[in-house]
Amino acid sequence: MTPASARVGPVPYDQAPWRAVTALAWRQVRRGALVVTALTAAMSATAVAAHRSAVQDLEDAAALEALAGNPAIRTLFGEPVSLDDPGGFAVWRTGTALAVVLSVWGLLAATRIIRGEEDAGRWEVLLAGRVPVTTVVARHVTVLVAAQVLAGAAAFAGLAAMGAAAAGAAVHGAGLALCGIFFTAVGALTAQVFATRSAATGAAVAAFGASMLAKMVADGLPALGWLHWLSPFGLTALSRPYGGASLWPLLLLAAAGLAVAVTAAAASGRRDIRGGYLSPPSGRAPRLRLLGSVQAFAVRRTLRPLAAWSAGIGAYYLLIGVLTLSMTAFLTDNPRFAELAAQAGFAGLGTVHGYTATLFALLAVPAGAFAAVRLAALAADEADRRLTLLFAQPVTRTRVLVAETAAVCGGLVVLVTVAGLATWVGTEAVGADLGLLAALHGAWNVLPIALLCLGAGALALGWAPRAVAFIGSLPAAGGFLLKVIADSAGLPAWVALLSPFAHLAAVPDAPAHGQASLLMTAGAVLAATAGLVGYRLRDLHL
Amino acid sequence: MVSNAVSTQSLSKRYGRVLALDGLDLSVPRGEVFGFLGPNGAGKSTTIRLLLGLARPTSGRASVFGDDARDVALTHRRLAYVPADVALWSQLTGAEILELLARTGPGTDRPYRDELVRRFELDLSKPGRAYSTGNRQKVALVAAFATRAPLLVLDEPTSGLDPLMERAFRHAVHEARDHGQTVFLSSHQLAEVEAVCDRVAILRAGRLVDVAAVTELRRLHRTEVTVSFAGTPPDLSRVPAAEAVEVTGPASLRFTLTGPPGPALEALAAADVTSLAVREPSLEEIFLGYYGGTPQ
Ligand SMILES: Nc1ncnc2c1ncn2[C@@H]1O[C@H](COP(=O)(O)OP(=O)(O)O)[C@@H](O)[C@H]1O
Ligand SMILES: [Mg+2]
Repeated sequence: MTPASARVGPVPYDQAPWRAVTALAWRQVRRGALVVTALTAAMSATAVAAHRSAVQDLEDAAALEALAGNPAIRTLFGEPVSLDDPGGFAVWRTGTALAVVLSVWGLLAATRIIRGEEDAGRWEVLLAGRVPVTTVVARHVTVLVAAQVLAGAAAFAGLAAMGAAAAGAAVHGAGLALCGIFFTAVGALTAQVFATRSAATGAAVAAFGASMLAKMVADGLPALGWLHWLSPFGLTALSRPYGGASLWPLLLLAAAGLAVAVTAAAASGRRDIRGGYLSPPSGRAPRLRLLGSVQAFAVRRTLRPLAAWSAGIGAYYLLIGVLTLSMTAFLTDNPRFAELAAQAGFAGLGTVHGYTATLFALLAVPAGAFAAVRLAALAADEADRRLTLLFAQPVTRTRVLVAETAAVCGGLVVLVTVAGLATWVGTEAVGADLGLLAALHGAWNVLPIALLCLGAGALALGWAPRAVAFIGSLPAAGGFLLKVIADSAGLPAWVALLSPFAHLAAVPDAPAHGQASLLMTAGAVLAATAGLVGYRLRDLHL
Repeated sequence: MVSNAVSTQSLSKRYGRVLALDGLDLSVPRGEVFGFLGPNGAGKSTTIRLLLGLARPTSGRASVFGDDARDVALTHRRLAYVPADVALWSQLTGAEILELLARTGPGTDRPYRDELVRRFELDLSKPGRAYSTGNRQKVALVAAFATRAPLLVLDEPTSGLDPLMERAFRHAVHEARDHGQTVFLSSHQLAEVEAVCDRVAILRAGRLVDVAAVTELRRLHRTEVTVSFAGTPPDLSRVPAAEAVEVTGPASLRFTLTGPPGPALEALAAADVTSLAVREPSLEEIFLGYYGGTPQ
């Protein structure tokens, strides 16, 4: 053996190996983390700025307080605390929305980079190295926790920079971050329990939905206020950043998040790689329905996610329906409410129809997200080469895309119909006067915005297949945020007009904007057609 | 005139700065088992993606049975494909995937499919996520052979198979040939191509190096022999099978051997050989040796 070859062998690599894992995790979430952080800072800051105009428009802060005391508004924004304080107002206006954004992003990112990467087989190489799986999971969770802390700090900075009191801003920022951390940990845990990414995400989203419902019930029905203690969102609200801050709820939330995160990391060490605690059975009899054509197969792939989305959205709108009762009781007690509500920009909230109309508008966001997520799944099937065998069949790309969009369209109709029906059932249960047709009209009214999402998603699939989920949810989620920001920050009117929500009638309180709906649908078809052109022209990423 | 099963005219594909395929001219007549040989990254999969219309050529044209490869609704009615890296839907079982492919595909010979499932020892009750690499490949192979399509396009189909399954694969290819089907088989294994193919194209760095009948290819199969001897140096000049004779020392030499070794051994016998080492060079070395390291 020559001296040169004697030196051949593993060369010790100076850098600690976990650093490489941390860098890997950060690379996969950095874009989302920065977007979420920027959004948190921007929304917090604009809400403080909006306080001045809100107070000026109303006769006095007490009137604002009365408005915010309406259970309908409470279910939307949570319990109002210290609305006379700019910080308190900002927390009330943006707190719930931001907690939702951070939590959803956290749990989606956790299941994506933990279970998704493992499920795709990309962890085998990683785990063959020196780093044990518990460390890998712990590192990934740590990176996500750091991202949540960053977002919490952004909320603090946004509030404090606009002149809100720093102490309250710190409590609020901590609450937001802890909420996000908790659901990040939940995502990491379900990623250990379930062997597939979709199951892990579904379970984490279910936990999120249950927490949200518990908080909304607690906000809307004072008798059930104790439910706050069972929900991360409730605990965040109980910390009352601008109403004599209380740290106990946050400490409890921090302990819960830590416990879940530690459990997740520990659990990862006691299972097989690419396995979970609840693995699907390793064999079963074939189910041959809906395999006969590309269209049938598209329907088959849509059914299960549709059932999950319908269950979540149905539960939410059932609750909305039930809450209309406390709403009508509030109306008889507060005759001046309609006037105040109109002044604050919530015109029409004073009636059952107006209340449900406002909440039906919100339905466009999850419906649009459903469309975007389904097309993103198609893009993922392509990128992960599951579609290769199908594209080798005598099947044009046009047919694949048309089949998928048709299945998603059908899914959207089912989804919004479920929401309408659930609302109606809820109102019937408590004897509120809504009517089945009014409920269905209200729900169906958001379809054009959801279709816009579908069109945008198809456009992205054709020209920017990696950004399908993001571009696809822009018309609904982006449009909604744009309108909120433009309205509350007093931006020029045309900015708000860019949002599809500016053109959405308050059905069933008002008749639908036929022309606007038609235009949005036409826009959706146009975008989808442009997407199809790109889809046919480009290389498949197989 | 009957069109070729596969033909390409100056087919090129560029990925950014990488010229993955550079002016490929190829034609595969019907009924031939055609090997497509080349090292990793040579452009084999790229060629196949272009043939299937999954990627668009930068320039040139590919056609399948005379029809432009882009018209997949037409061309795919007459071909079946096994990708190099088979991914399956994780929730669908093997049986469900075969059903989906049979009902959306160019047609299926179901009794033959059942026969193939048996030969490849495939458990169809498992969900896609539970299959190993080799088993995923077997699902795709069964689906492809069962179509009895006039053209089978197989991209390194045996990379995950064990030797027994590889035998089942070769058997199926022979059956396809007997059936009059054309097989386009990409591979980086010389032995596999030699065993099943009639003709072979060799691709390197995106360029076609050679197209030859497999019988001709055997001349590529050379053995490297190193000998040390105590007696007089052996005279190999009159042994045509020994080439590239190289004296590596006062009592040792090296040469390459093509074909039957008898005459060379006779020549060595006279030289009082003290040691003899015989080595099969890798495909890469054969390529480099044969083509002088640069594409023609
Ligand atoms: N989608 C792609 N994007 C960029 N480069 C690619 C892509 N596909 C293939 N290549 C490059 O083209 C060359 C040929 O690749 P490929 O056809 O897969 O080779 P082979 O199948 O012969 O191993 C390689 O250099 C590869 O890196
Ligand atoms: Mg290849």
